[in-house]
Amino acid sequence: MNKEIIRSSSRKGLLFGIVMIFLVLINFHIMAATMISKLLGTNVLRGAFPEVRYMIIFLVIYGLWVGWSAVSREGKTITKLLEGLTAGITTGIVVGLFGLILFFLLETQTDVRRYLTALSFPSINIFLLGLRGIGVPVLFGLFTLTGVAGGMLAVGLRSKFITELKQSVRTTVINLRQRITNSLPDKVNQYGKYGIYLILLIVLLLLPSRWGSYNNFVFGMVGLYVILGIGLNIMLGLSGQFMIGIAALFAMGAYSVALLNSPFPHGLMWGFWPSLAIGVVMAVIGGLLLGLPIMRLRGDYLGIVTLGFGEIIRILLNSDLLTDLTGGPRGIQNIQQPTFLGQPFTDVSYAYLIIVAMAVSIFLYYRLENSRTGRAWLSIKEDTLVARATGVDVQKYKLLALCVGAAFAGLAGGIFAARNQFTGPNDHTLMVSINVLSVVIVGGLNSIPGIILGSFALRGLPELLRELETYRLLVFGALLVFMMLVRPEGLWPSTRPDLEEKGSSGLKEDIDAHEEGRGNA
Amino acid sequence: MESEKKSPPKLTRRNYSKIIRPVFGILVVGYILSRLYDVLLVQQAYTAEIWVRLLISGLIIGGVYALIAIGYTLVYGILFMINFAHGEVMMIGTFAGYFLFEATKSINVASAGNPPLSFSNAYPLISVILAFIVGMTVAATAGFFLEKIAYRPLRKAPRLIPLISAIGASFFLQNAAQLLFSPQVRDYANPQAIARGSGWTLIINDSRVIVTYTGVLTFVLSILLMIGLYLMVQKSKLGKAMRAVASDKNTAALMGIDVDAIVSRTFIISGALAGAAGVMWGLHNGLVHFFVGFLPGIKAFTAAVLGGIGNIPGAMLGGLFLGLVESLGPTALGISYQLKDVISFVIMIVILIFRPSGILGEVLSEEKV
Repeated sequence: MNKEIIRSSSRKGLLFGIVMIFLVLINFHIMAATMISKLLGTNVLRGAFPEVRYMIIFLVIYGLWVGWSAVSREGKTITKLLEGLTAGITTGIVVGLFGLILFFLLETQTDVRRYLTALSFPSINIFLLGLRGIGVPVLFGLFTLTGVAGGMLAVGLRSKFITELKQSVRTTVINLRQRITNSLPDKVNQYGKYGIYLILLIVLLLLPSRWGSYNNFVFGMVGLYVILGIGLNIMLGLSGQFMIGIAALFAMGAYSVALLNSPFPHGLMWGFWPSLAIGVVMAVIGGLLLGLPIMRLRGDYLGIVTLGFGEIIRILLNSDLLTDLTGGPRGIQNIQQPTFLGQPFTDVSYAYLIIVAMAVSIFLYYRLENSRTGRAWLSIKEDTLVARATGVDVQKYKLLALCVGAAFAGLAGGIFAARNQFTGPNDHTLMVSINVLSVVIVGGLNSIPGIILGSFALRGLPELLRELETYRLLVFGALLVFMMLVRPEGLWPSTRPDLEEKGSSGLKEDIDAHEEGRGNA
Repeated sequence: MESEKKSPPKLTRRNYSKIIRPVFGILVVGYILSRLYDVLLVQQAYTAEIWVRLLISGLIIGGVYALIAIGYTLVYGILFMINFAHGEVMMIGTFAGYFLFEATKSINVASAGNPPLSFSNAYPLISVILAFIVGMTVAATAGFFLEKIAYRPLRKAPRLIPLISAIGASFFLQNAAQLLFSPQVRDYANPQAIARGSGWTLIINDSRVIVTYTGVLTFVLSILLMIGLYLMVQKSKLGKAMRAVASDKNTAALMGIDVDAIVSRTFIISGALAGAAGVMWGLHNGLVHFFVGFLPGIKAFTAAVLGGIGNIPGAMLGGLFLGLVESLGPTALGISYQLKDVISFVIMIVILIFRPSGILGEVLSEEKV
C-alpha cells in the first residue's frame, strides 16, 4: 500500500521535474518571473532580466502545485503529507541534477546556445538563484519544502469543513436564485432572456466606438471566425461532412472582393457591396464544384479530399500560372474601401459590419437548423441509409449543406479582404481551415454560443496575450490537447439532446428505479 | 398523388449526378493525355538523361514518403484515426540524427592533420548507423508518449476528438522544437564519405547523371525497412496480434491480446519508421528546422490515402507513386514545377472519386468508413 503511494507520487514528481526542465530550456522561467514582477509592481524592461526574488516566487508556486497535485483525494492526512513530500523530493532531485549540469556549464563557460537557444548564462544564473553552486542544494530544499507545503495546503483546503462550507454556499446561492425567480412576476421570467439580449446588443453597439482600433481589429477577427465557424458547422455539425478545406471557400470570397476593388491587376472598381454579393456567389459555386464529384466519399476520405482542394486553391493562387489573373504570391494590395450612405469606412464601421454579418449568420443558422432542411441534414448525419429510406434526397441535401456553408465562408472572406485592404495566398493556408475546425470542436459542435466562445478562446485570447507572444502557439497546442482530454464535448456543448443516448440511459434509469422499488418492498 | 408527382424528377436527378463523375474523370484524364502527347511526342523537349534524373529523385523521395505513410496507415488501420502529429514525430527523428552527427563531428579521433580527423569522417558507416539508431529510438519514444498522453484517454471518444487532439499535439511539438532549437534552418553535417551531391556517375547520351550516395542509401534502406515491416506484420506473433486488433478490438481482447500494449507498439513501430525517414530526409536534403515534418507529413498522408489507408502494401505503393508523380509530373505535363503539389492532389482526388478506398484498399464496411 505504502509502496504504491510512493511510486505513484514519485512518478508525478518526476513528471513535474521534467516539465520544469522543459520550461527552463525554452526560457519560460524568465518570462514567468517577469510576469510576476510586473504583477507585483516592478516593471522589467524588454530584454532585461527580473530580480532573483521573483524567480523564487515562481519556483515556490510551482513547488506548491507539485505537492498539491500529488495528494490523492482519499486517505489519511499523514499519507497525504507523505505523498506531497515524495513528489517534492523527486522533483527536487530531478531539478537539482539539472541545476548541477547548468552549474557545470556556467563554471566551464560552455556556450550551448548554438543548440539550445534559450540557455544563456544570465538565464542559468537566475535559475540557480544567483548562488551558483549553492543554488543546487537550495533548489532541492525549496522543492522538498514546497512539496510538503503544497500537500498541507491540499489537506487543508480539501478538508471536510471546507467542502461542507462550499456545499452550503452553493445551496444558499441556488435557493436565493430560486426565491428571486419565484418572487418576480411571470412576465419578467418569460421575457428576461430578451432583456439580456437587449443589454448585449447595446453593449455591442457602444463598444466598437469606445475601445480603440486594436481591440476592434481583434474583435473583427473573432467575428469573422464566428461566421466561418457557422459555415463549417453547417457542413460538419449538421450534415456530417468532414471538411478541412474551408480556407479555399474563404479565399473565393476574399479574392472576389479584392479583384473587383483594386487598381491592380485588373483595375476594376465595382464597389464593395456588389462584389461582396459576387464573392458569396463565387464561394457557393466553389462549394458546388467541390461537392459534385465527391458525393460518394465519406468520413476521413472526404476530409482528405477537401484538404487537397484547399491546398490546390492555395498553390494555384501562389503560382506564376495565375499571376496575371490574381496577383500571384504578392497578393492584391490597396483594396478600395467601401462606403455606406456616402460615408467612408473606418475600423468602427467594420466592427459594426461584422456585428451585423454575425447577427444575420446566427439568425439564418437558427432558422435553417429548425427547418425541414435542417432536420434533413441531421437525419443524414445520424444515419444516411435511414435518411434515404425515409425519403430524404441525400445527395441534394449534402450539396445544399456544402453550398450554404460555403456562402458563409465567402461572406467572411469578402469582409476579411476589404478590412485588411490586402489579401494574398498566405491568408488562405491550411492553418486557416484547421483553426476554424478547432474553433468549432473546442466551442462545441452544433452550438452557436460554443462557436462564439471558441472563437474568443482560440482567436481573441492569443491576440490579446501578445505578452506571451513566443509561447502563444505552444500554449495553444497544449490547450487543444488538454481540452480534448478534459472536455471533449466543447466549452459550451449543444443542448440538442442526443436521442439515442438519452433513450438508452432513460431505459436504464427506469430499470434501476424498478429494482430499487423491489428492494424497498 | 403527391408522391407520384415527386418521383419522376428524383429519377432524373439521380441520372444527372451519375453523369457528373464520368464527365469529370474524362475531362481530367483527357487533359493529362493531351498534355502528355504534346510534351512527349510533339515537342520532345526533354532528353532521356533528364527523365532518368527525375526518375531517380522521384524514387528517393517516394521511399521517404512511403516510410512515413506506413506510420499513418498502421495507426489508421488499428485506431481509425489520422495521426496528424506523425510529421512532427519525423521532425523529432531528424533533429535526433542532426545532434548525433554534430556530436560525432566534434569528437576527434586523430589530432594530426588540419582540420583534425573527426569521428564521423573516420568511421562514416558507424556514425550513420548510430544516427539511424538514435533517430529511430528517439522518434519511437516520441510516438509512444504521444499515444499515451494525447490519444489513449480518447480511445472511446467520437472520431473528431482524437483528430483535434492530434492537431494540438502537432502544434505543441512544432513550437516546442522552435523554442528549444530556435527557428533557424540548420545544415545536416553528413560524413564526408556520403557528402550531399557526391555519388556515382552514369553517362547517358554523353551527359552525366549523378546518382547520389545519400539517395541510394535512402532508397535501399527504405525498401529494406518496408520489407522488414511487411514480414513482421505477416509472420511474427506481434504482427498477427496487430492484425487481429485492427480487424476487431473486442474480439482480439477476448482472445487474450492486450489491446493497449499492441496499440502502444504500433505507435513505437510507426515512430521508428518516421524517425528513419527523418534521418534520411536530413541526410539527403541537408536541411533541418522545426517545420521540416509538416509538408512530408501531409504528402505521406496523401500517399497513404492513395494506396488505401489501413493497407500496408498500399502505403508503400502510394508513397512511391506520389514521389514519382511529384517529380516526373510537372515535366511530363509541361507545366511549372511550382504546381507539382497540385498534380499530386488532383491525382489523389481523381483516384478517390473512382475508387473511394484507394488503389489497394479493401471495400470498407459501413462501420469502418
